[in-house]
Amino acid sequence: MKHYSEEDLVLHYYGEDRRAAEVERHLQACERCAATYRDIAGTLAMIAAPEAPERGDQYGLEVWQRIRHKLPEQNRSWFFVLRSSFGAVLRSPFDSGIRSPFERRTQNAERRTAFALAASVAVLVVAAFVVGRVWPRTPPIKPAEQTASTDAARRVFVASVADHLDRSARVLTDIMDTAAAGDISAEQQWADDLLIASRLYRQDAVDAGEQSVADVLDEVERSLIEIVHSPSRIGAADLEQIRRRIDAAALLFKVRVLSDDLREREQTPDAARPRTSMRKTS
Amino acid sequence: MDATEAAAVLARARQGDSEAFRALVGQHSRSAFRLAYRMTGNEQDAEDVVQESFLRAYRQLGRFESRANFGTWLYRIVANCSVDLMRAKQARHDQIRGDSLDAVPDLEEQRAAGPERLARSAEIGRRVQRALEDLSPLERAAFTLRHYEGRSIDEISRTLGLGTSAAKHSVFRAVKKLRLVLEPLRGQS
Repeated sequence: MKHYSEEDLVLHYYGEDRRAAEVERHLQACERCAATYRDIAGTLAMIAAPEAPERGDQYGLEVWQRIRHKLPEQNRSWFFVLRSSFGAVLRSPFDSGIRSPFERRTQNAERRTAFALAASVAVLVVAAFVVGRVWPRTPPIKPAEQTASTDAARRVFVASVADHLDRSARVLTDIMDTAAAGDISAEQQWADDLLIASRLYRQDAVDAGEQSVADVLDEVERSLIEIVHSPSRIGAADLEQIRRRIDAAALLFKVRVLSDDLREREQTPDAARPRTSMRKTS
Repeated sequence: MDATEAAAVLARARQGDSEAFRALVGQHSRSAFRLAYRMTGNEQDAEDVVQESFLRAYRQLGRFESRANFGTWLYRIVANCSVDLMRAKQARHDQIRGDSLDAVPDLEEQRAAGPERLARSAEIGRRVQRALEDLSPLERAAFTLRHYEGRSIDEISRTLGLGTSAAKHSVFRAVKKLRLVLEPLRGQS
């Protein structure tokens, strides 16, 4: 008789197994699995959700008072500003959904400002067209266009690598935090998922001349490979060895510094271009 | 606030309107606190998580897809902020908390000292709390989302940015550890 694993029975308890009826029939017939299931269910039934202390109706206001002075400047792209401006002009005066006279006045003011901005842009577009027609023809300035599109691509790259580094840092932190030798299959699965992305980003970094980013990604990749290729039920010695390598390379620190660095560059368009070297990390 | 009004408020918040963001804070603070409390098991930590989550949300509003639900998006931020806070706390207290479960007085001993002294359910509750504290932050987060919040494995993996298999294994490992600690108490519950 085929028995169900603890994992299968946990999924059954939470109603997440696809063969619920089959498992149920088996539990009727198999005392061994039924006993394990009773243990699991009995233990989980003891764990009741903690009652969160009550928060009153004014709680939202309290939170707001605590955070309002800490709110940073939001990063708004030109595309967003233009889109919202044109959106404000094109919006029907009857579809606002705003009810109070104050809000209506505010919206009218917004619409006037937006209209002025949209009109200015339209005038500029027409002027540019006319000037373009009468101006002596010169070869298109390809390098400038190329720079703009390269910058956009670089910003996307910077943001993606920063996200990737944050995820990698989590796996590494998990490995560093694991209490003792044991099952690391969850971390391995996660590291495996990250590995392919890491290779692609490293290649992109090399192509983009971001050598310092490529170097850190290379180190991350080596640690991820080591984690993936370790036994799932890792022994204390193997675990300690992985940790020592992560520690010796100050890898977590480098990953966090680089991630912060990239986030900073992401916020500052001019700074999205490659830096010759990363901030000193050791 | 109906759906149209909520969408309008969200659109204004995305354009940098802090009053609109204030309305979002007002609308979602209590649910954010409830989740943060379940994740961290501590009132002060939950308060910190709520604040940090709204600050993160504000910073990242530009990346938020307007078609998505703000509540769902904030839920993920709160869950991940909680994991970050638990990690930071664990790293700080790892050495101090070497005694962990050993520090909990033996139940038999307490009952022998005075059977009426402690309500057994309260003692079990404390043990559960202590056992949860001994889980890794990811295990605890995955378990909380599955057991308390009733989220499916797929939802947990999306919320915590894990693969499905990693989310499943985090729940399994949490259950396994909790069984080890709590099973001896079962007969007494």
